Amino acid sequence: MARATRAKPAPKEPTPESIPSTTPPLPEATSNPPKLFILPKDTSSDARIVTLDNPAASTPSRYYFCPSKGFYEFSRIAAPKKACRSWLITSQEVKTSENEKSKELEEPGKQDDSEAGLGSGYTTKNADLFLATPVDLLFLILPALAPKSAKEEKQHFLALDDYTDMLSASSQHWKTLLAQHPSLKLMLERKMRTLCDTVDAGVETMYRISHAKLLAILVKKAERMVQNSLPPSMEEKFVKSALDIPVMSIRREDSTLSAVSESGTSTPAADSQASTTAEAESQATDITTPDKAEVPAKPSLQTPEGIPHLLRLRTALSYLTSSYLPPSLVSTITTLLSTPTSPIDFTPLTAHLSTIAKLKSEAAALRSISDNISRKRQFECNEDKIAEREEKKRKKEEEDRKKKSESLGVKKLRKVDTTGMKKMSAFFSVKPKAK
Amino acid sequence: MLEARLEQANLLKKVVDAIKDLVQDCNFDCNDSGIALQAMDNSHVALVSMLLRSEAFNPFRCDRNIALGINLGSLTKVLRAAQSDDILTLKAEDAPDVVNLVFENSASDRISEYDIKLMDIDQEHLGIPETEYAATITMPAAEFQRICRDLTALSESVSIECTKEGVKFSCQGDIGSGSVQLRQHTNVDKPGENVEIDLSEPVSLTFSLKYLVNFCKASGLSDTVKLSLSSEVPLLVEYGLSNNSYLRFYLAPKIGDEE
Repeated sequence: MARATRAKPAPKEPTPESIPSTTPPLPEATSNPPKLFILPKDTSSDARIVTLDNPAASTPSRYYFCPSKGFYEFSRIAAPKKACRSWLITSQEVKTSENEKSKELEEPGKQDDSEAGLGSGYTTKNADLFLATPVDLLFLILPALAPKSAKEEKQHFLALDDYTDMLSASSQHWKTLLAQHPSLKLMLERKMRTLCDTVDAGVETMYRISHAKLLAILVKKAERMVQNSLPPSMEEKFVKSALDIPVMSIRREDSTLSAVSESGTSTPAADSQASTTAEAESQATDITTPDKAEVPAKPSLQTPEGIPHLLRLRTALSYLTSSYLPPSLVSTITTLLSTPTSPIDFTPLTAHLSTIAKLKSEAAALRSISDNISRKRQFECNEDKIAEREEKKRKKEEEDRKKKSESLGVKKLRKVDTTGMKKMSAFFSVKPKAK
Repeated sequence: MLEARLEQANLLKKVVDAIKDLVQDCNFDCNDSGIALQAMDNSHVALVSMLLRSEAFNPFRCDRNIALGINLGSLTKVLRAAQSDDILTLKAEDAPDVVNLVFENSASDRISEYDIKLMDIDQEHLGIPETEYAATITMPAAEFQRICRDLTALSESVSIECTKEGVKFSCQGDIGSGSVQLRQHTNVDKPGENVEIDLSEPVSLTFSLKYLVNFCKASGLSDTVKLSLSSEVPLLVEYGLSNNSYLRFYLAPKIGDEE
């Protein structure tokens, strides 16, 4: 896959205001700041950014279309909110060896040492980077193929043109694309063939979506995704923590731990609404986590061989379905997956996961008890508190002993009705202690 | 260091017997003027105050002020080992852990010695001012004891009414009522049976009989008892001892509980 490391200004980029290097006052910020994109290499000149409906959310989203290479989706890579970053964008000539990758926090100092090129540079406030990654055309046409609602079960075979009409109706850009690029129609047809049941009606071929075929494609994609192991953040959150077998006494905070570590790494993934399988793969290549490491060696329950792989597959599948499938198809696919005819048998996984869930709930119950104890202990750890308690205990014991050693007369006097009798201290003042 | 020799062990025996049913533990405060004791009962409605002046002992030596915190039950047990006419010697260091009691029987040359472990007692000490009472009754201790005992059978509390006619102890109970009236009375032959009433204004107060009965356990210490009353203040029951020593009991009156 082609991935350029050069930033190209967005097509609609406003011209950065030239900053006079000599005068200190900086120009006002533009309302529409330039954005940084990483776009595929060697795309044809006809490549453009189009607005198409996102298959899962059916909201308009930006895609990059190249007639020869197909569609790319954009993933926004953002710096974590707390880490303030910004981009320094300078003109082409200055970027000799190091290009746009100069993340700058202290802009003014930098401006001084190279007055030639930096003068026309631009600093963006947000360190966002838009990464174009290939997306299967298949997903983009799914909304047209999928039933409009779950109720509409009976699906008719339709001609390819009917589908393209449907797509054109959904988005103006589809219409333009289809009109301008006959190659796109060919691509479409190829995809349709893999995805649909076909019926030949004379000269025309009629298509209807086949759920089984879709599932098969999804499973293939998921397997590819898993092949090089999932991105570390996904691996951590969905596989490792899910397979964590609670240890009764030692590690009580497994779940919270993983949640914490996840929050840092997953920001890009969470921010980018749609990152493709391809991206996931490439991201994971450099961090290959060996299977053995993540199978926790726990005494209580061993994770059987193959379970992590199954879980990864399932994670990948659920990711694919939730991010790329129209909602009306999601339920159909998930039910298909759980039926015995599904290409992957997840039953050992579900069994294993339920065992873990049981163990976890047991551990949680145990923890709530032991937590109580430990909190109490913590409370007691305070030296003063211990002393106080012991003092109290001692006093109580003393009192008990006193009561036992009471003479009969004293005991009898205790029972005397003393209502209406004031205490001695009401009559006589307490003398300050002598000595 | 304390060293106090008492000719008659009986005195201490009786004092301790009289107060052991009122208080459990108390401090015997020793200084060069003698041995004093002040303690309240558990309900803090009665107070006992004892002073054994140094003159009561022969010899008496106390270099520093010492507080001997003693459990009266333990002291009673040890004092039981002493015979009435034994010579009793109390000994203690300046910062004592124990108090040492030696009983000498001059007749049989028998010397017995006991140590009682001391305890730290945190008691508040009340300052009792000298009070002019509205009425002071001096009467035989045995007579007072008898009145209290008789009236206890009927009621829990007694009303002591002092007028120029005399003193009237009256009570009302479930089974009925009773009263004992005493007039001023002088017996030339037996001055111990005199009843003297010193009255500046009539007074009538109600007291718990159980407590009074308890005080009467000191009757053996003295032939006469002195009751001092004023409205709204505690009754003082005083048993005079030789050498100006005394054993005094104070009891809060019952107020607003007319029966």
